Amino acid sequence: MRHRYEGRVVLDFEQFGLPKNGTVALVGHNGAGKSTLLRLLALLEKPTEGHVLWNGTPVSGRARAAARSRVTLVEQRPILFRGTVRENLEYGLRVRDIRHAAADGIIGDVVDKLGLAPLLARRRTELSDGEVQRVAVARALVLRTDVLLLDEPTSSADRAAAGALYRALSAERVERPFAVCIASHLLEDAYRWADDIRALAEGRLSPVTPENLFRVELPAGEGLKSVRVGSIHIAAVTDRAGSAVLAVPPTDIFVSKEPLASSARNVFKGRVTGMAIEQRGAGVQVRADMGGVELVASVTAEAARDLALTPGGGVVFSFKATAVRVF
Amino acid sequence: MEFLAEGFRRAWSLLLAGDSEVLGIAALTLKVAVVATTIACVAGLPLGYFLATRRFWGRRAALTVVNTALAFPTVVVGLLLYALLSRRGPLGAMGWLYTWQAIVLGDVCLALPIAAALSAAAVQGVDPRIRRTAETLGAGPWRTAWTVAREARFALAAVITAAFGQVVAEIGAALIVGGNIRGQTRTLTTAVALYTSQGDFGMALALGLVLLLLALVVNIALQVLQGRGGGSG
Repeated sequence: MRHRYEGRVVLDFEQFGLPKNGTVALVGHNGAGKSTLLRLLALLEKPTEGHVLWNGTPVSGRARAAARSRVTLVEQRPILFRGTVRENLEYGLRVRDIRHAAADGIIGDVVDKLGLAPLLARRRTELSDGEVQRVAVARALVLRTDVLLLDEPTSSADRAAAGALYRALSAERVERPFAVCIASHLLEDAYRWADDIRALAEGRLSPVTPENLFRVELPAGEGLKSVRVGSIHIAAVTDRAGSAVLAVPPTDIFVSKEPLASSARNVFKGRVTGMAIEQRGAGVQVRADMGGVELVASVTAEAARDLALTPGGGVVFSFKATAVRVF
Repeated sequence: MEFLAEGFRRAWSLLLAGDSEVLGIAALTLKVAVVATTIACVAGLPLGYFLATRRFWGRRAALTVVNTALAFPTVVVGLLLYALLSRRGPLGAMGWLYTWQAIVLGDVCLALPIAAALSAAAVQGVDPRIRRTAETLGAGPWRTAWTVAREARFALAAVITAAFGQVVAEIGAALIVGGNIRGQTRTLTTAVALYTSQGDFGMALALGLVLLLLALVVNIALQVLQGRGGGSG
C-alpha cells in the first residue's frame, strides 16, 4: 500500500488489518498519516498503489458503494450539516431509508448514551467544538456500521467528556459488536481502549511493543513515588493516584553490565532473556528478566556488541524516575 | 433637459396605461429570460459541481475554457449563431433564425458559462468535509451533491441571479439572431435601442424602467426564497 499526495509519499506499508469486531488504536504525531489512512479505510479515497480489502476482497466498482455503507468515519474536526442536531442524526438513516419510529428508536438510544438530549433542537452554530464532536460520533453510531473509524475523537473534549464518550462506545459494543479503529496522539486513549496498538510515523507502520507497560495502583501523594510492579518497585514521578498505566520507553533505558553510578532512581539487575534486531532502524531490543518482571531496552547494534550481551548473561537496566510515563 | 422630463412623463403614462406594446415586449423578454436561465442553470449547475468536485484529465483546461467563455462578447455569440442558423448554415433547416427560440439559444450560450463557472466556484467554497461526511454517512453521488448544494445555497442563488441578469440585459445576440421583429422577437433591450435611435425617448425610457423593475422583482423573489430556507445554521 502506497499513497501519495501531489507526488509526496504519505503512506507506505505492507498491510494494515482491522480484525472483525476488533479494536485497533493508531498512534502517531500529527502529520504521521493517521487521518489519511482512516480516509482510505473509509473508502473516501483510493490508494495510489495497492488495495483496500473488505472480507479479503478488493473493494472496487459497485462493491465500493455497498462497503462504504458499512463503514463510517468521524473526522478529527467533524462538521455538521446545516439544520438541527436531530436532522444531522437522521441524515445517514434517511440515506438508508430508515425513518419515523425506527429512526426515532435508534437515535433515542444513542442520544441517551451520549447525553445529547438537550442539544437535539440546536443548530451547529449553537454548539461548542466538544459538542459538535459528540454529535458527530452519535451521527456515526446510529448507522450501526460494521466498522467505526474515529480520528482523534476526544481532541475537543475535556477529560470528563472523553470518559463519557468511551463509556458510550463500550456500552454500544456490548450490545452490538463492531470493529473500531481510533487514531489518537494520546497514548492514554490507545492503552485504555485497543486490543492492538499500531504506531504510524511518516507514513510507515510499526507495531507498538506492549513491553514495559504495567497496570498499577498509584499511591496518593505528590512527586516521587515507589510503585509496586510484580516483585519489583519502580520509581515514578506523578501526582496521580489510583489505577493507571506505567510505560517505560525502551529507548530511555540505559543498559550496562554492572550498576552505574548515576542519577537513575531505577536500577535493576537481571538476565538477558532475548535479543532481536528492530524492524526499523539499526537498533537491538534487549529483553531481560528482572526477577519475574520482563523489561525491554533498545540499544544500538554497536552498543550491544561492545557490551557483549548474550542471552542468559547478566545485565543491568537503569532509567530515571522521570522517564516513566504515567497514563 | 426638457426632453428628459418629457420622456419621463411619457414613460410614466405608458406604464400607468398598461400600454399593450410595452406589456407585450416585457412578456416576451420574461419568457425568453426564464426559459434561457432555466436551461442554462439546469445544465450549468451540475456541470459546475462536476468541475469543482471531480479530478479528471483536462479539468484545468475545462475550467479555463468555461472561465474564458464568461467574457465572451455577446455580439460574437450572436454572429456565430447567425452563421449556424442562417438558411445556408448547418442548422438552417430548423428555421429558427429570427424566432424567440433563437434568442433563447443565444442567451443559453451566454448564461451557461456563467452558471458553470460561478457554481464551480460556489461548490469549491464549500468545506470539503461536507462532501466527505455525506459520503461516509452512506450518501450516493446525487444526495451528496444535494447536501453540498444546500450548504452553498446563497452562492448558488447568486449564480442564478447572475445568469438571469446576463440573459435579461443582453442585446447583441438578441439583436442579431432575433432580428428585433415587432411582436415576435422584440425584447426590452433591443426595443430600447430601437426607440432611442428613432428619437422616441419616452418609449425607450418606459421600456428601460420595465427592465429595471423586472430585475428588481426577480432579485427580491430569489431573496425571499433564500430567506425561506432558514437561518445560517
